[in-house]
Amino acid sequence: MEARKSQKNGMNDTVHHLPKAKIQKDPLAWFFWALPVAAAMLCAWFILHDFVFAGPTITIYFQDAQGLQEQNSMLRYRGIRVGNVTSLKLARDGQMVVVRVKLEHSAANIARQGSLFWIVRPQLKLGEVSGLQTIVSGSYIAVQPGDGVRTNVFTAIAEAPIVPVPGITITLLANNLDSLENQSGIFYRGVQVGEVTGLQLGQNSRFVVVQARIRQEYAPLVRDNSEFWNAGGINAHVGLFSGLQISAESAATLVSGGIAFATPENYGAAATNGTVFSLNEKPDPKWQNWNPAIPLGQTPQASKTNNAMPQISPQINQMNQ
Amino acid sequence: MDKVVACQTCGLVQEVDDVPFGAVVKCARCNFQILHRRVGSRARTLAFTIAAGILYFPSNLYPLITAEYQGQYAQTTVLKGIQTLWGMGQYFIACLVFCTSILTPALKILGLLFITLTLHWPRYQKTRAWMYKVIRVIDPWNMLEVFLLAIGVSMVEMGEVATVHPGRGVFSFAAVVVLTLLATLTFDPRLLWDTPKKRYE
Repeated sequence: MEARKSQKNGMNDTVHHLPKAKIQKDPLAWFFWALPVAAAMLCAWFILHDFVFAGPTITIYFQDAQGLQEQNSMLRYRGIRVGNVTSLKLARDGQMVVVRVKLEHSAANIARQGSLFWIVRPQLKLGEVSGLQTIVSGSYIAVQPGDGVRTNVFTAIAEAPIVPVPGITITLLANNLDSLENQSGIFYRGVQVGEVTGLQLGQNSRFVVVQARIRQEYAPLVRDNSEFWNAGGINAHVGLFSGLQISAESAATLVSGGIAFATPENYGAAATNGTVFSLNEKPDPKWQNWNPAIPLGQTPQASKTNNAMPQISPQINQMNQ
Repeated sequence: MDKVVACQTCGLVQEVDDVPFGAVVKCARCNFQILHRRVGSRARTLAFTIAAGILYFPSNLYPLITAEYQGQYAQTTVLKGIQTLWGMGQYFIACLVFCTSILTPALKILGLLFITLTLHWPRYQKTRAWMYKVIRVIDPWNMLEVFLLAIGVSMVEMGEVATVHPGRGVFSFAAVVVLTLLATLTFDPRLLWDTPKKRYE
C-alpha cells in the first residue's frame, strides 16, 4: 500500500518519497568464517593423526634385502598389512641393509624384543614350493612378534623361522649327509612323523650331526633301540634270481631326502629330548619286518588314513552316479 | 548516504540507507535481495581464500590415491605423479599438471589474499588491479583441476582390478578446487576501485 502511494507521489514529487528498502540482519554473514575454522580443524586432525596416533618407525637390519622396494613393500602379519617400508639404505659399514618400516598404530605391539623379521620370496625348492603369491606381488617382510620389552631396532633372520611344533628333538649321527637337507622328513612306515631341523659337521669332523624333531603325537614311536636309516634316493638291488629291485621311501624323499626308522617289538624306553642315535646308510631287511604295537598318545588324523579309505570310496561312488 | 536503487526483480525504485556489516538489503515490494553490491564480498572472499590456503598443504603433501594391488602398495601424491610423468618422458603433461594443480591454485590463493588484505590501503591499487587480471587469466586453467578430480574418481572406480582408496589428499584437493572457485565468485571487482570514502563491502 505504502509503496504504491509513494510511487504515485513519485511522479510529481522528489526522491524523498521513494519507498525505503528493508535492511535485515544477515544470519549467514558470520557463517563463512566457519570454513577456515573447519579447514584448520581438519589439518589439525591430520597432524594429530600423523604424529600422535602414528605407529612407531622401526629399523631392521637385513643381510640381504633383495626384492624389497622403497614405499611399496609391506610388513605383513597374519595376512594383513601392518606397516610399510619407508626407506632402504646401506649401513655405514656396507655389511647390512638398513630397512625402515613405519608400523600402523594398531601394530605398535610388534616392535618388541624377540620379534623375528624375514623376507618372504618365491621359493622353488625340490619338494617344496612356497611364497608363490610374491611372484606377482613382490616380496614382503613377515614378522613373528616377540614378547620382550619395546624396542625399535631389529636384526632380521635369513629365512622363515621353523614353526615351533611341540615334540622331542633327537640327534642323529651320520657318516655322510647324502641328500638330506633342512626340513627333510622323518618317516615311520611311510608316514611323516617329524623333520630335520639342523645339520652340522661334528666336533672332530668325523661325522655329521643331524638334529631332528619328532612331533609330540608320534614321540612314543622313537625308542632307545630304534634304528634309523637314510631313506633318500633309490635303493636298487640286483640279484641273480630276483632281478632288479628298486625301492624308495616316497616320492618326496626321492628329491629332498629323508630318514626312516623302525622300532623292534621288544622296544625299550621312550626317547627323550637329546637322545643320540646313529644314522645307518642302508636299512637292514630285518628292521623292516619289525612290527611292534605301540599305543600313541593322541591319534592324529594322518594315522587314520588306512581306516578312512573304505569310508571314502562309497562317497566317491555316489558322486560318480 | 542515501542512494536510489531499482530492484532487479520487480523494478521498484527505492531508497537504500547505509548498510551495516552483516546485513542484507531487501526490496520493499517483492522482498528479493537487492544486489547492489555482492554482500560481504571482502569478508567472504577472505574466508574462502584462507580455508583454501590452509587445505592447500594437505592436498599436496598427502597421497591422492592409495592403491593396493595383489599386495603391492602404492601411494601417489600430486608431486610424485608429476615426477612419474616427467620420468616417463611426458614433459608437456607433467608441466600441465604442475601448472594446473600446484602453481595456479597457489597463485590464486596468494593473489586473493593480497587483494583482500590490502584492500583498504591506498597504496598498491594498481598492483591489486593487475593481480586481479592475472587471477582472471588463470581461472579457466584452474578448471582443469576439476578434470583431474574426475580422473581420480574414475581411478577409484577401477576397484575391480586393484583396491584403490581415495587418500586424504583427494578430499583436501577437491576442497581447494571448490573453495578457490567460490572465492573468485564472491569477489566483487568493483571493490578494487572504491575510494576510501565510499566503500560497499
